[in-house]
Amino acid sequence: MTLADTRGREVREDIATSTTAAARMQDGRKTYGLDGAQVHALDGVDISFDRGAFTAIMGPSGSGKSTLLHTLAGLDTLDSGRVWIGQDELGPLRERGLTRLRRDRVGFVFQAFNLIPTLTARENILLPLTIAGRAVDQAWFDTVIATIGLADRLGHRPPQLSGGQQQRVAAARALVSRPEIVFADEPSGNLDSQSGAELLGFMRMAVREFGQTIVMVTHDPNAAAYSDHVVFLADGRVVAHLDDPTAASVLDFMKTLGA
Amino acid sequence: MLQTAWKSALAHKARLALTSVAILLGVAFVSGSFVFTDTIQARFESLFSDVYAGTDASVRGVAAEFGGDVRTEFPAVPQTVVTAVSALPEVAEAAGYIQGFGQIIDADGKPVGGMGPPTYVYSWVESPALNPFRITDGNGRAPTASGELVVDAATAQTAALSVGDRVSVQFASGTESFQLVGIVSFGDSNNLAGATIATITFADAQRILGLDGQVTFVDVVGVDSVSQDALVDSIAAVLPPSAEVVTGDQLTAEAISGFTDGLGFLSTALLGFAGVAVFVGAFIIFNTFRIVVAQRTRELALLRAVGASPRQVVTVVLTEALTVAVIASALGVLAGIGFAQLIKAAMGAVGFGPPDGPLTIEPRTFVIGMAVGILVTLAAALVPALHAARVPPVAAMQSSAGVRPARPVRTLLRVGILAVGAASVGFGLLTDRLLVTSLGAVVAVIAVLLLAPVLTRPVTWTVGRPIPGAVGLLARQNTARDPRRTSATASALTIGIALVVFTAIFAASTKDSIASSLDEAFPADLVVAPSNMYMAITPAAAEAVAAVPEVGVVSALRAGAAQIDGVDATVTAFNADTIEAVYTPGADVALATVGDGLLVQRTLVDEGAVAVGDTMTVAFPTGKSAALQVVGSFRDTTLGSYAVTGSTWDRLGGSSDAVTMLIGLAPGVGFQAGRTAVEKALAGFPSLTVNSVSDQIAAATAQVDAFLVLFTALLAMALFIAVLGIANTLALSIVERTREIGLLRAVGLSRRQVRAMITSEAVVTAVFGALLGSLLGVALGWVVVTAFAAEGLSSFSIPVLQVLLWLAVSALAGVIAAALPARKAARLDVLEAIAYE
Repeated sequence: MTLADTRGREVREDIATSTTAAARMQDGRKTYGLDGAQVHALDGVDISFDRGAFTAIMGPSGSGKSTLLHTLAGLDTLDSGRVWIGQDELGPLRERGLTRLRRDRVGFVFQAFNLIPTLTARENILLPLTIAGRAVDQAWFDTVIATIGLADRLGHRPPQLSGGQQQRVAAARALVSRPEIVFADEPSGNLDSQSGAELLGFMRMAVREFGQTIVMVTHDPNAAAYSDHVVFLADGRVVAHLDDPTAASVLDFMKTLGA
Repeated sequence: MLQTAWKSALAHKARLALTSVAILLGVAFVSGSFVFTDTIQARFESLFSDVYAGTDASVRGVAAEFGGDVRTEFPAVPQTVVTAVSALPEVAEAAGYIQGFGQIIDADGKPVGGMGPPTYVYSWVESPALNPFRITDGNGRAPTASGELVVDAATAQTAALSVGDRVSVQFASGTESFQLVGIVSFGDSNNLAGATIATITFADAQRILGLDGQVTFVDVVGVDSVSQDALVDSIAAVLPPSAEVVTGDQLTAEAISGFTDGLGFLSTALLGFAGVAVFVGAFIIFNTFRIVVAQRTRELALLRAVGASPRQVVTVVLTEALTVAVIASALGVLAGIGFAQLIKAAMGAVGFGPPDGPLTIEPRTFVIGMAVGILVTLAAALVPALHAARVPPVAAMQSSAGVRPARPVRTLLRVGILAVGAASVGFGLLTDRLLVTSLGAVVAVIAVLLLAPVLTRPVTWTVGRPIPGAVGLLARQNTARDPRRTSATASALTIGIALVVFTAIFAASTKDSIASSLDEAFPADLVVAPSNMYMAITPAAAEAVAAVPEVGVVSALRAGAAQIDGVDATVTAFNADTIEAVYTPGADVALATVGDGLLVQRTLVDEGAVAVGDTMTVAFPTGKSAALQVVGSFRDTTLGSYAVTGSTWDRLGGSSDAVTMLIGLAPGVGFQAGRTAVEKALAGFPSLTVNSVSDQIAAATAQVDAFLVLFTALLAMALFIAVLGIANTLALSIVERTREIGLLRAVGLSRRQVRAMITSEAVVTAVFGALLGSLLGVALGWVVVTAFAAEGLSSFSIPVLQVLLWLAVSALAGVIAAALPARKAARLDVLEAIAYE
């Protein structure tokens, strides 16, 4: 357990020069609202995500965790500061470059509405490849499908699938193009505990077995326990890190934050 | 509850804007048609009331029971009538004058006008009270000496005539040259509905028209104390049996109806096209409300959950519809006034415009325009409103599903209806029952529109096939997502394209039929005909042609009114000795052997109205008649319904003037040389035109094409509304799919790809509608051409290029319809879109 504030400047320079991180942010700042009612969603965030790791971002409502995820993924832009996916900085990218980045190098799993209702499960999973016009790696596709355990439901459309199945299809879609990093925004938030556990187990397996990098925002200590590291945010700042979390250790730590 | 509806309507102005435009355009068409026809009626009323204001009574010859004179509209009466009428104590003033026909020739030797409106010649009336013409300011004076002429201002303008010019006028008796001394207006109007008017001195008119000692009209002003009826009674007492007298009021009424009788057809035609536009608009309105209700399922369910009854939900939806309908219909009536102004200007530009003056806007136009707009909108919104009432309160708690399960379409029932319709068409065609055929066709068209949802998926899938990649996949899926919605959107275009294609096929088939029948029937090298239907080919012209050495055979056709077994008919006379060299009417007997017999049109025999061997009594206007035996029949329509030989015609006292001269050139004479020689011989008869058969085909084709253009232009309104419908459906569906589009953008669909996706959906929908419409149009065209085969529509021709053009236009219309919705979709902010509820 290390308080981020104590790392200070060295960390920042590490981030600027890192060659191993899957994604990084240096001094990220983002403010919502006008004078008087300003909310500092991100207030000088320095953070780096290792390749092949499953990181959970936690924090109370309004701590800036969703904004952090969106700005890292190129869905939103920072007011100031720098963001990299791998070696490429997002700041100079225009709309088209960001779209291509999302398409080719990033995967997403949202809390809800992850699938196009008119497309079958298979078409949804292959959507990023279809959009990019890339060939399907059939062996990898089969592996992913076998892992999520939905081989017999590929011809079904989303309304015919349960919520848990839909989220697993979404996770498969995020993995099938072998992105450098997958961002998940409360992926188990809408699921019952059984389905949630299945999904999170699958995500952890993707990290362990396939070396996938995953960054997940959650407010659920049980979900965070599936990750390798937990990053705590409060008031737009990184306030703490926790390695090899368990539900109990996360809960304990949250109590100290709240105190 | 009403307040909820109002607020909802106002909160969704954009959503309803395009619907409003669909209603507005339909109502504009309807009310514009009324304003236009009312305006023509009122303008002619005011013109003739003004012109005949001073006339209390008018004497004229009693019109023949049938037939007439090529020189004048009414038979002449003796000039002594003028003296007799003037002598009556009830008469303050009486003026006799002449009205006949004459063709004004411009400086280039070309006839002015005469292609539709009449070409009048008047004698100048000295009495200001009785003269309908006024010399316009600064434009000369009345004709006072022989050889002087005034013309109406519109003709002067068209032919670029000014006072002092020499002007030729061709009469039945020959061409005369005049000095133009003045330009006149007719009441307040510079023309009389396109008629050309040449006014000359009374003496010249009598001499040239061969009416010495006669007049065609005597207009009368009564003394102040006498009523028009009393005046007419006293005049009638001094008239010979060949003359009659009418009141000034009656004269005005006759003149007005003479110009406005054709309006009934025009009004019906315009309202017919307006009806198509309204019908297409109804599809758009229906579709919009269906989508809006679907999108508001949760909101409506919430109303139900908090205690609203199903009836109140219906009220909410219908009130919203009513709000839109009232506003759009009111604007539509206003737009209709502009539309009427536009048609008036267009008609004026081609020479058929009503007299100048303000538009006439009857209260009836407002009432009907509003009623049509409101009733059509409410009717179209009723089904969606009833659907809304069936939303269960529990739907408020459920998330709105992206795909609504479509109710199973009752496919078999609809196929059954189609089969019944098609069978009726077949039965009607085989047994020659037009009513059965028409009803069958209507049923079949409705069945096809009902079947459209079933066809949507396979057809759009095939049409969208060539669109590659994710864009193609998504566009195909989106088009097939709600087949009812897609087919309802496309149906508006289906109806428009079906009518356009039908019109094109009808026109092409008509042109083909004309061309093949003319080609077949006329081996003649040249055809001479008057360019003006009020003129004829005089024997002098016939002699001039016969004298040309390059001409081998001249055969004249004469035609005139007659009564056959007591029924009015036109009889054509041919020269039995020469006709067969230049004309092949498809007769079943040799024309040279007809002798005293009568030939009839084949359809009369086919219909069983006449049989070969019958004897029919043919009576001519001359009073002579003869019992003729039917000796055979002919197919070509140039001969009209009945034909006799020239000798029979002469025996019955028929006119020596011809309507057509068919010319075969002498052996060895080249076509151009022969034509030039004939034209030279006819130089003194400028109202006669020399044509080859291919010229005639071209002229007939041009006429059909003009109608095709006019009808297509009128149908364009319906097509435009249909395109609006596509834009509307897309715009609404994008709102519905906001989160989906956000997700697509998040996983890497570029803005350009989003635009391409939306555009593809529009194009696929439009092409689907147009394909279905083309098929319907071709089928309808075939049915109509087959049904009218006996009436001369002998060949069925599909203008393939035009049909393909309309498909291409539809695809382009899809691109245009998608422009704004696609832009909006591409500009959605990804994060906001994903968070959109």
